[in-house]
Order: sequence, then structure tokens, then C-alpha cells
Amino acid sequence: MKKLLVSLLMILMVFSVFAVKITIWTSEAQAPILTKLGDEFKSIYGIDVEVVQVNFNDIKSKFLTAAPAGEGADIIVGAHDWVGELAANGLIEPIPVLPEKDKYLPTPLKAFTYNGKLYGIPYAFDGPALIYNKDYVENPPKTFDELIKVAKQIQEEYEGEVRGLVYDFKNFYFSSYAIFGFGGYVFGEKDGKINVKDIGLANEGAVKGLSLIKRLVDEGLLESGDNYNVMDNMFKDGQAAMIINGPWAVPGWKEAGIDFGVAPIPELEPGVKPKPFFGAQGFMVNAKSPNKLYAIEFLTKFISTKDVMYRIYLADPRVPSRKDVLPMVDDVTKAFAEFLGNYGLPMPNVPEMAGVWGAMGDALSKVLDQGIPVEQALKEAVDTILAGIK
Amino acid sequence: MIRFWKFIGYVFLALFNAFSIWGALFLFSRGFYELSITFFVLVFLIDYFIFSKGAYPYRYMIPAVILLFILVLYPIAFTIKTAFTNYGTGHIMTRQEVIDRLLTDPVYTYVPDEGKNYIYEIFVRYEGINPTGDFKMLVYDENGEKYVVGNIKPIRMQAGKMILGEAHLIPLEKYEVMKENGKIITIMDGDKTYNYFYSPVDKETAINEVFFKSKIAFPILSKVEIVNNRRERLSLRFSNDGTLKLVEIKHLYRMALSEVVENGKTVAKATLINDLTNRPLLEEDGTFYDFDENGDKVPILGYISYLGGENFTKIFTDPTISGPFTKIFLWNFTYAALSVVFTFAIGLIFALVLNNNTLKGRTLYRTLLIIPWAIPAFISVLIWKNGFFNETYGVLNRFVVNGLFNKESIKWMTNPFWAKVSVLIVNTWLGFPYMMTVSLGALQSIPEELYEAASIDGASKSKRFWKITFPLLMTTIAPLLVGSFAFNFNNFVNIYLLTSGGPAIPNTSTPAGATDILISYTYKLAFEAGRGQDFGFASAISILIFFIVAGISFVNFRISGSFEEVNR
Repeated sequence: MKKLLVSLLMILMVFSVFAVKITIWTSEAQAPILTKLGDEFKSIYGIDVEVVQVNFNDIKSKFLTAAPAGEGADIIVGAHDWVGELAANGLIEPIPVLPEKDKYLPTPLKAFTYNGKLYGIPYAFDGPALIYNKDYVENPPKTFDELIKVAKQIQEEYEGEVRGLVYDFKNFYFSSYAIFGFGGYVFGEKDGKINVKDIGLANEGAVKGLSLIKRLVDEGLLESGDNYNVMDNMFKDGQAAMIINGPWAVPGWKEAGIDFGVAPIPELEPGVKPKPFFGAQGFMVNAKSPNKLYAIEFLTKFISTKDVMYRIYLADPRVPSRKDVLPMVDDVTKAFAEFLGNYGLPMPNVPEMAGVWGAMGDALSKVLDQGIPVEQALKEAVDTILAGIK
Repeated sequence: MIRFWKFIGYVFLALFNAFSIWGALFLFSRGFYELSITFFVLVFLIDYFIFSKGAYPYRYMIPAVILLFILVLYPIAFTIKTAFTNYGTGHIMTRQEVIDRLLTDPVYTYVPDEGKNYIYEIFVRYEGINPTGDFKMLVYDENGEKYVVGNIKPIRMQAGKMILGEAHLIPLEKYEVMKENGKIITIMDGDKTYNYFYSPVDKETAINEVFFKSKIAFPILSKVEIVNNRRERLSLRFSNDGTLKLVEIKHLYRMALSEVVENGKTVAKATLINDLTNRPLLEEDGTFYDFDENGDKVPILGYISYLGGENFTKIFTDPTISGPFTKIFLWNFTYAALSVVFTFAIGLIFALVLNNNTLKGRTLYRTLLIIPWAIPAFISVLIWKNGFFNETYGVLNRFVVNGLFNKESIKWMTNPFWAKVSVLIVNTWLGFPYMMTVSLGALQSIPEELYEAASIDGASKSKRFWKITFPLLMTTIAPLLVGSFAFNFNNFVNIYLLTSGGPAIPNTSTPAGATDILISYTYKLAFEAGRGQDFGFASAISILIFFIVAGISFVNFRISGSFEEVNR
């Protein structure tokens, strides 16, 4: 029996030595270009690259199921906020050396860093900015007071047919700009290390930020039925003058024939800059894959080069994370890059972030729908997050 | 002929047994004990059913038994086992696996500061003019002495693949070599000849780099640690310029005896020790911790460990969990009960109407009424949420409440009462066609004569319904109502997609919402709070919910059983 097992293993080993292939799991936006790039890599290195298209929302959960058993893709393409959970589970491999590291914007790199190690190669990042329809807004507002004035004017002028400002304001992701702009923060940081017990979501700044969003509701700009789909459809139909959304939706607006502009989210108060959350996208390597080194070679020698990064941008137009690719992109992307690159905050990538979304969503709905005082709602959110972590 | 088929049958059985037992042994060796035991018991039962005369009738149950074991009993056993562990984010490997990785994985190695670079050359065997993957590696040590890397023996395997191997250096003198201008160009081993092929410092061989990397370096050499005569370990690593260098490496962690304090006593125990700091790792709550330069503990890897009843006691003693528990339980009960009542009442009314022989176009109505059942719940719930209940743009508020009645918008999703109403409306919409269908079937089985006799006796229409139709209907439908109750008690999809449990309940520090039922509340606790996934806790909760549902169903069956008295 044992002999049989051993000989079976030998056969498997021989096969594994000769069948060399890197598998990549990616979502539909990058799958075609990565397939093409994989073919080019094969022609240089003789290593097969298989690109498997997986629904973006399923990549992490599928990987979490497969990787512990030593299976699953060698490389996954995903968001930086997966890093904490995957690294805590020991499933992704740090990138030992990233060539031309100084050519990258610092924030996307930081987004993929966990416990001081780089766990992924960022190729793009995205986050919300102010999008305006040029038919209604000539010059984008510079401050929030101005924004409220302009929005109200439009609403009066078009007698309720066109909304001045619509966005998914009860979603913590889209409303984070105000909370962080005034000095709120999710987790405190000391010496580059995240302290999950230090939560700044109920401090003075967070209260001020959430009060600002409440003001938008009280002034009659935001309606309780607003959500992402409502915003997206209204903007495409020309029924919304200004929205807050990210670069992923750009193709849709172009298709709908909207003459739009991208501007920074206005200053919260004169001199107070908004700081929205943003997410970075990148390549991560399976720590239990037997092909780790190929995967790393594929990423560092090939994917991370300027030329390839530009080609990925052309296929999937998000804001590139390499500085030297930025001058080559179109104006819309540049506008996003300028705002997010300067003021954006990467979402914390620690696993403890899992409890923040629900708690803050509840806090926003308590304040904005149920009229519960801002301080109380935020305090309850912080208590909820802390209760989950301990 | 029969004998022949019998023989074939036994051959198949033997094959089946051999395969299953091999599989069970394989699973056992990999640590999947429950699944392995499941296989063993299954094989034993099947053989018993076939060979024992007395168990003859059970033969026909074999397919069901297989499914029962694999799809029902094993998951139950696994859930129970998981409920007593900390399985979840940061704890997904076994302890042995974590130790193995810390000891052998290249991630947990480092290149010492005084570590030396070694020059290496690769010699490959040619077949005709084509190079093969069969190679010899020549290593120069710092004195210029030459060694050849000997046979590779695997140290760690995973899924049939070598993860880590080890090889020793053999002095070059043991081999026959051929030199040209003082440079070795071939190495002979037995009757095999290896030709000089690649060296990272030799520009002339750069053309062979791709072949070397793809056929030799990555698949084989990158997984091998070469031990020299000073017991130093050499391995290929990426250097800062991206080339592969052969460098001396050290393992960050080693297993050694050290003194640790355990239960107040100092004992000597085999522990993992950080090679750089010489401090033993701390093992706490199923996680290995190392210490950074400030002495703060840094979690490295966690493993699945047994917690005992901690997950269960947490449910009752942790105020952040048990706080809104009663509130949610009561609503859950109301929600399930009202869903059953509404769906049954509406379904029955439609069934009675459709059962009327004088109604024209019955097939058409029936088809239309079954549509809610035919559309996947996922889709219709989202349509209800976005299309009907949206507070500003939904059809109900915009055209009915504002437009028709000129009233202020109803806060469907943000007012606790209306949120509950909307959840019930959608659940009734989704559920009534099922009740209608079963009622229609049950109505067919009530004999016409009973009604004839009753009408001759002068019973009114309503009397006929309450005295004949309803009791007879209940005998067939009551068990289905119990089933429907149990289903709605755990109807996660409807709640989660429609309101996600919201609106949030104020004055609590738990993720509880007004429309949360137990299963959606615990989903939030187990997967959307804290550190993400907590399978152990989720399993504990599902066992608890099982007991609640089982208890309620038992009582319900007792009550519904009383209807059967009518039939006797």
C-alpha cells in the first residue's frame, strides 16, 4: 500500500514539475488584457499564464476557501482592504522586492502594506470625487456653502425636475469625506502601526462631519430614498446636477452622453479639505502556491513595468498608481488622481475593518433617518466596533 | 448468466470498498477525521446490507444512506465540532500546519547580515540539441573550492507537490569533469554528461536565462535548501536588482526546549524560538505572537484550537449579544407566525375562488397567481426594495401615498413599524402561491358528497366551510404550515436583501436592527463584526437556532396533530 502511495506521489511530482502554469483570478474588467499580457509573458519565459474570470465579489471568498488547502489561484487581483484578512490567515505572500518603488504614489503602496510588509502590487486606485453635469453647473463649487447655494438654485430653477445634489449619503464609504476632513479617523496609528483599540469615529471632528451631512438633509438637498442606483440613474438621465461618485462609473456616463466634469469635493469649511476613503487595486500572491516565485517574477519583472501598467490602464481606465503613467492618462482620470492622490485616505486594511462598515452604516441611518443626536449615534457605533474586536 | 452478473456485481463492490477505504485512509492521514469516519461507517453499512441476509430490505436504502451520510450527518457533525473551536479569521490552519510553516516556509527565513553570496553554474544534459530539465548545479565556496549539488530529497510535501527539499554538497572530485581553458565545461555522472549551460555572472549564457528560470530555478531549485559542510543553508533568493542569487539563509524560527511558565509553574517545553532575538514565541488564544523591538507582541499566525463551551456561554453572558436577544426573538416569532397566517389566509382564499367550477379562465388566473413563486426570491425582493418601497422614488410613496391620497411619504425602510410591515408584505407576496397550490390540491381531495349532504341538511355556505372544508383541509396542510413556520423562522434571504435588519435600534452597542431575525442578527455578529469571519461562533448560534426551531416545531406538530382527531 505504502509503495503504491509513494509511486503515485512520484508520478504526481513528475507532472507537477513539468506542468508549470500561473493561474490568475481576476474580474471581467482586467481579464482580457491580462490574458493578452499572459501570452506575451509566455513567449518570453515559456511559462503558461491562465487567466480565470471570477466575479469581483467572489474572488476573496473563493480564495479564502481554496487557498488554505493549498489550492486556488497563484495570483489574485483585488482590493487592498482584503490584505489584512488574507495576511492574518497566512494566505498571501509579501512581495520581496518591488523594482522602481519610488515611481509609485505613496498612498497605494501604503494601502497594500500590512504589519510593515508590502503584500501586493497596486496598479490602480479609485475613490469618490464631485461629478457635475456641465448643462447645469458651469463652475464647480469651491466650498460647501457654495455647493448648497448652487444646488438650491438649480432645484428652484427646474422646479423639482432636476436635483442639485444626489449621492449615496447613508453609505459610510461615500460620506467618509466629511468625517475625516474635520479630523475623525477609523483607527489610530502609531509608528506606522495601526492600533485598532483607538477609534476616532466619535471625536469632535467626526461629529462635525456627520453634522454637515445632516445639514444637507435638513436643507432639503438629500432625500431619504437616495441610494447608489438612484444617483446613478438620475445622473445618466440628466436629472441630477451634481453627484459624488468614483471613476468606475465614467464609462456609463459617457455612454449616456452626459457632458460631465470632475472636481474635488468642495472644502467643508473655508480651508478644511475633505478626505474621502479610497481603495487601491492590485495583484497579490498566494502564499501556499508552489509557484510563488514565478508569480513574483511575473509581477515584478513584467506587470509592474511602466509600459504594461499603461496598457492595463487603457483596458481598465482607473487611476494608475505609478506616477510616470499619470501624465499619459486622460483629463477625467487626471482630475480624480489629483484630488484622491492629495487628499484621499486608503481604507484601513486590517481585518477589524469588517465591523466598522455595519456599525457606521447604522450610525448614519440613526442620525439621518431617525433623528437621533449625532454624538449619541457615533458613540454607539464606536461601542459596537469595540465590542466586536475584544 | 445470473451468476456472471453476480460476479460482476461483487467485482464492483470490491472496487467500491477498496476505493472508499483508500479514500478514508487518505482523508484520515490528512486530518479530515469526521469525513474519514463517515466513509468508514458508510462502507461498513453498505457491506452489511449486502452480505447480511437479515438486512436484505435495507439494500434499497443504500442510495439514500449515502446521501444521508454525506449531505446531512457529516455537515451536522462538522458544525457541532466547529462550534467548540475558534475557527475564523486568523485561525484557519491546524496547529501542526502553522508550526510546519513557521519552521520551513521561505517567508520565515532571512539572509544574515554577514551572509555570503555564492557563485553557481548550471550544467544540463542535452537530448540531441535540446536542453532538458535534468541538471547539475556547481557551487563555488568562498575559497574557490567547487562542489556539486547532490540528490534532492523532499522534506515537506503538499498535495503531492514538493514544497521544500534538501540537498547536500558533494566535492567535485567525485565527478569526472572536462575542462577547456581551465574552465569546467562538462560534468559526468555515471553515463550521463552535463554541459555548461548558465551562470548569472556569465554574459554569454544570458540567452539561457529564461530556460534556466522556467525549467530549473523556479520549479525545482527555488524549493531546495542546499546544506554545505558547515551546515549553513544556501538558497536562491531575489536580490534587490531582481536577479536570483544563491545566498546563505537562516530560518527565523526554530524548535527548541525552553522554560515557559505554565499554570504558575516553570516547565521545560518544546517551543518555537525566534532566531534573531532568541525569545520564545508566545502562544495565546490559538495564536503565535512574536515580539517587536519595543517588546510589543505581534501576531504571526493563528491556528484552530478548541475553546470548550466559550462560544455558547458568550451568547448568554456577553451583554452586547444577549442584550437585544429577547427583542429579536419576539419579533422573529411574530414574523414567522404572521408570515404563515397571511400566506395561508391569502393562498386559501385564492384557492377557494379558483376551485369554483363556474369561474371562467381559471388556468390563466392560476398561472398569473403563481408568478411570484416562479420568480427567484432574490430578484423580486430587490424589485420590492428599490421599486416599491424606496421612500422618495418608490411606486408606493410616489404614486399611491403622495399622488392618490396626497399624504406624506411613508418611511418604509426607516421607521421600525413600517419596516416590519414591508418585510411582511414581501414575505406574504413570496409565500402565498405555495399555500394556494397546496390548498388547491387539498381541496380536490374533499369528496363532493359531503357538501351535498350538508346542503340537504340546510347548512349555510360559511357553515359548510368551517365545518367541512377547513377541518379536512387542515389535516393535510397543518404539517406544511409547521414546515413553513420553520422555514420563515430562518428566512435569511428576505430580511437580509430587503432591510438588512434595519433600521438600527438606538441605545444599543450591537449591530441589531428592528427587523433583524435571529439568523440575520447572528450573521452580522459572526461575519460583519469584529475581525470578519467567525465560523465557530456562527456554528454555535446555528446549533442554538436548531434547538429553538426544533422545540417550536415539536409543539406545533402536537397542536396540528389535534386536527387529525377530526378524521377519525
